Amino acid sequence: MAIRNLIFEFRDVPGISNLDVWEKHGGYDGLKKAVAMERQTIVDEVKAAGLRGRGGAGFPTWIKWNGLPKNYDAPHYILCNADEGEPGTFKDRETLLKVPHALVEGMAIASLATYSRVGFIYIRGEYAEPAWQVRKAIDQAYAKGYLGKNILGSGHDFDLYIHMGAGSYECGEESALMSSLMGERGNPRLKFPHAPLPTVAGIWQAPTLINNVESYCAARWIIAHGSAEYAALGTERSKGTKIMSVSGHVAKPGNYEVEMGTPLMELLQAAGGVTNGRLKAVIPGGSSVQIMTAEQCEKINLDYESCSANGTLLGSGGMMAFNDLTDIVLLMRRTSEFYMHESCGKCTPCREGTRWLYKILDRICSGGGRQGDVELLLDVCSQIDGRSYCGLGDAACWPIAGAIKAFRHEFDYWIEHKRSPVGAQCVPPAFETINPALSLTAS
Amino acid sequence: MAPNSINPLADPVAKPVALEESAFLFSEEAVAELEEIATHYPERKAACLPALWIAQREYGGSLTPAALKEVAERLGISYTEVEGVATFYTMYNLRPRGRHHLEICTCLTCSVSGAYDVVHALEHAMGIHLGETTPDGEFTLSEAECLNYCGAATVVQVGDKYFTNITPQNCISLLDQLRESPSYTPAMLADSLVKLHTPGAGFKGGGSYTPEDLG
Ligand SMILES: Cc1cc2nc3c(=O)[nH]c(=O)nc-3n(C[C@H](O)[C@H](O)[C@H](O)COP(=O)(O)O)c2cc1C
Ligand code: SF4
Ligand code: FES
Repeated sequence: MAIRNLIFEFRDVPGISNLDVWEKHGGYDGLKKAVAMERQTIVDEVKAAGLRGRGGAGFPTWIKWNGLPKNYDAPHYILCNADEGEPGTFKDRETLLKVPHALVEGMAIASLATYSRVGFIYIRGEYAEPAWQVRKAIDQAYAKGYLGKNILGSGHDFDLYIHMGAGSYECGEESALMSSLMGERGNPRLKFPHAPLPTVAGIWQAPTLINNVESYCAARWIIAHGSAEYAALGTERSKGTKIMSVSGHVAKPGNYEVEMGTPLMELLQAAGGVTNGRLKAVIPGGSSVQIMTAEQCEKINLDYESCSANGTLLGSGGMMAFNDLTDIVLLMRRTSEFYMHESCGKCTPCREGTRWLYKILDRICSGGGRQGDVELLLDVCSQIDGRSYCGLGDAACWPIAGAIKAFRHEFDYWIEHKRSPVGAQCVPPAFETINPALSLTAS
Repeated sequence: MAPNSINPLADPVAKPVALEESAFLFSEEAVAELEEIATHYPERKAACLPALWIAQREYGGSLTPAALKEVAERLGISYTEVEGVATFYTMYNLRPRGRHHLEICTCLTCSVSGAYDVVHALEHAMGIHLGETTPDGEFTLSEAECLNYCGAATVVQVGDKYFTNITPQNCISLLDQLRESPSYTPAMLADSLVKLHTPGAGFKGGGSYTPEDLG
């Protein structure tokens, strides 16, 4: 097990973002097959492949596809979540930039399976460069009849639009994304069981499918190559491949598509190993998941089951490796700052709680830590976790609670000694060493 | 508050004192763009985000109360609704920015890869602190949350471009390059984001810069 390029098979072929080159490499074969298939067979193939959503939650993709009404009686929509905002993750960026036609083709296939005539790709505003590749791909696909009226003579029409975001992590949350697409603030919406599922009543109260970029691209591969070949890869409950974004203290950071179940340490080796010291910790799946110690990493395989068995999550696949110069408390302070900034403010536990977490961690890192601060952090976490309106609140707590579990001694050291256990050259830098002049900007 | 914290409350948005009767500023092409984009959705209101991008371009890079008013009237929704949207998202500028707005990522990976050293170097070179604009109006420097290109830390976004693998050394040549460049302005970013919505708007190119490109 190791690197296994399916979505990224032709990533490095020059000009692959153009339709002619894409077609030469089997591009739109999946769509041609889908057009000839029974609509239900498309869904069944995705089911047989065992594909689970790659946006973070790992929800079985076919269940969503199967949930939309199987007729054209009322409008349906399919959405692509390209709002990639989870710190540490940059797989969708490269996918959009290098193989935009994989996404366009995947969405066209999904539109057939779900009887949807309109699709939107919601791309975060910062991603103008990758978005231009998608724009080009859509325009080329229209010109060739892969999009638009009567796709490949199937009698099925499908229009695909781009909708650009404007800077908000919360808009990656699917119901907040829908609010944003409808021209509102990016606040999440009431969810099942208090409201119907999006597949019943999503945007404009119409049945709506939402999937991550990688999920659509994987579905396209499955239809093009058959579910058996996909399901042969991976583990019992995690099939196929996952694109992992590896960053931090590694020699060769970048995106690596690996077979599910690949040992974490093997990927770390593939990414060139740790630089400037020894491995101290890894965050396997983006900032929202629990940090793991170097010893724990030895046991982790990159699949859903192994990650949860070890107390973390595969998440969005944003794997960050840290060497022994890294100060975990300062890192968590920065993490909490992120969630405080991105909290949409709709619900009290998250709006207030993320500020509390930040303030306490900031106090500890400014040398003002008090006995009991760690318990206070855990208490605030328990008040947010499970009580917030959307997943952002939970995601703000997991890393903090996880870091306390794995590196409690570092928190205690900070509180007792008022300085980093790593020493003055720690990263992220402690304030005194970063920039004394910056204190002018304090409020 | 910590010295380098992002305090969302520290930078309040100036409230409009009174909404003067102002002439609408959208050009004919801008109106055509807005009308085309509005056809993508079953409701006009859904075009609010792209309409604000158009306004940000037409009003020279930032959204004044007059700009918000024009958007509200053209979409047939209330001023308050538009203001609510414009204040939610970080990429809408409610205050004027410098000709180049540098947004430096200091999030997880960048923070352990020297981003704060780059912040320090940029502040020193520009003579301003985070969140400020140089007196000549050339640069604004802000701290950004993860720009999601962590593999190329440290990342700085200027206009619609990501400048990658930025260090305290090459950030100085980045400033020199920007000073010479008419591109990467807030208005051009807005223009790019508007055109992305429109089919057949034409491919503009892209691709990130690396230290080699910076010379
Ligand atoms: C705070 C928050 C942020 C999220 N950000 C993203 C994101 O940037 N991209 C994404 O695909 N999913 C994101 N998700 C997950 C989506 O809500 C949703 O589960 C996903 O788009 C479903 O697609 P999938 O089934 O293909 O994974 C986020 C969830 C939460 C709670
Ligand atoms: S948990 Fe609450 S405040 Fe936080 S982002 Fe979700 S809805 Fe907004
Ligand atoms: S942490 Fe800087 S780009 Fe992700």
